[in-house]
Amino acid sequence: MAQQRDEDSFRSQVEDRLDHLFQEDAPEAAEEQVGVVEHPLKNLKAVLLSIDWEITDSTMDGLLNEIKNVEYVYSEDKIILTFLQLLGSMGRYVKANKGGAHPEATRVINSVYEALEKVAMTQGMPRPEKERILLEEVAKFKRLKEQVVLRKAEKKEPAVFESSPAPPTPSPAPAPEPERSSVKEVPVPEEPRAEPGAEARFSGMSPHEAFAYALEEIKEVIRAEFRALRAEIKLWRESK
Amino acid sequence: MAIINLKKKEVQAKIVYYGPGRGGKTTNIEYLYKKFRSRIRTEMVTIKTHGDRTLFFDFLPIEIGKIKGYDIRVQLYTVPGQVKYESTRRLVLRGVDGIVFVADSLAVRRKENVLSLKSLADNLASYKKSILQIPLVFQYNKRDLLEEGIPLLPVEWLEKDLNSKLKAPSLEASALKGPNVVQTMKKIIVMTIDSLRKDLT
Repeated sequence: MAQQRDEDSFRSQVEDRLDHLFQEDAPEAAEEQVGVVEHPLKNLKAVLLSIDWEITDSTMDGLLNEIKNVEYVYSEDKIILTFLQLLGSMGRYVKANKGGAHPEATRVINSVYEALEKVAMTQGMPRPEKERILLEEVAKFKRLKEQVVLRKAEKKEPAVFESSPAPPTPSPAPAPEPERSSVKEVPVPEEPRAEPGAEARFSGMSPHEAFAYALEEIKEVIRAEFRALRAEIKLWRESK
Repeated sequence: MAIINLKKKEVQAKIVYYGPGRGGKTTNIEYLYKKFRSRIRTEMVTIKTHGDRTLFFDFLPIEIGKIKGYDIRVQLYTVPGQVKYESTRRLVLRGVDGIVFVADSLAVRRKENVLSLKSLADNLASYKKSILQIPLVFQYNKRDLLEEGIPLLPVEWLEKDLNSKLKAPSLEASALKGPNVVQTMKKIIVMTIDSLRKDLT
């Protein structure tokens, strides 16, 4: 009985301390925004959210198909169409390279989508503002493309997949027209990938061996990170 | 296993956020750190890849303070969710005292949740721990996406897939926006400290 009381007291003290330490403030006023429940972008957003590094042909085909659907809906809006072309181009690149795609690609895809959603769903946004947002995303796309090409040059690996549409280059006025080129992108493995059968090897490893393996895994990823950083620094210096 | 120093009256517990890649483990920890930085008064350590993915782990130490004369500290860890980092996940689980399993509510991630839970059970078993006995809380993350019309797994399905045998406490949450992120953490801390209490008396 006394022990039970002591246990309850201990637990309630922990709870009280946590309540005190992590007392949440009153919720902030929700920002007014238009939902995407019935919006043409709804399915596109769903597909984008499902994309992970474990990318499959079916998810990427779904993305490309959904882009086509949205293009049809916005066939008269050149700004939106340019956003969609950016997404389509990167989608094809990621589909071709899957896990070997530049890790920045997914981030740029998400960034372009977020900008697209903002432009498409903010009522009354002035055209110059839309164009400004679009230009920012085009710049990100171009940087990504340069990084991919630079890594191709560093690695001297052969181009192995078809040309992707070039980044659309919008002009500030009156409306952006996408241009086309044929830069080939090359898959450059960024991070080490588990070899088939690695799991089986781990099962018999001692903790020390497992640690050594993990250390090697980390070292390889860090080396890849440094390669990417060097490429970015080189790019930055060249742009100066 | 928790570090318990009876002489100095110190307890240090290790809690790991586990789950499939891109499920929101790091987002949970980041939310806590951003929201309560001034109160926690510790630094979050994170090692990310160039693509913003967790490379080794995220680490957030929290000083709970003195309870019944014991100075209690909790360390929150995440594991990298990507499939290829299995050995790293196993290492981070060493000495774990409590687990938050962050399940991804996206309909397309159903299989990944199940596989990740199986890997958790296997990895715990390699340390001779049972998933049935360790303090465990399920967090069904990304529930906010329902409002946006994104196809999500019904909570009943998640419960059936993941929690039908374990019967652990579960919470619906949005690590990005905050609902139930704090409650998840509180729940697992209370359960974990409670499980360690017998060693303190």
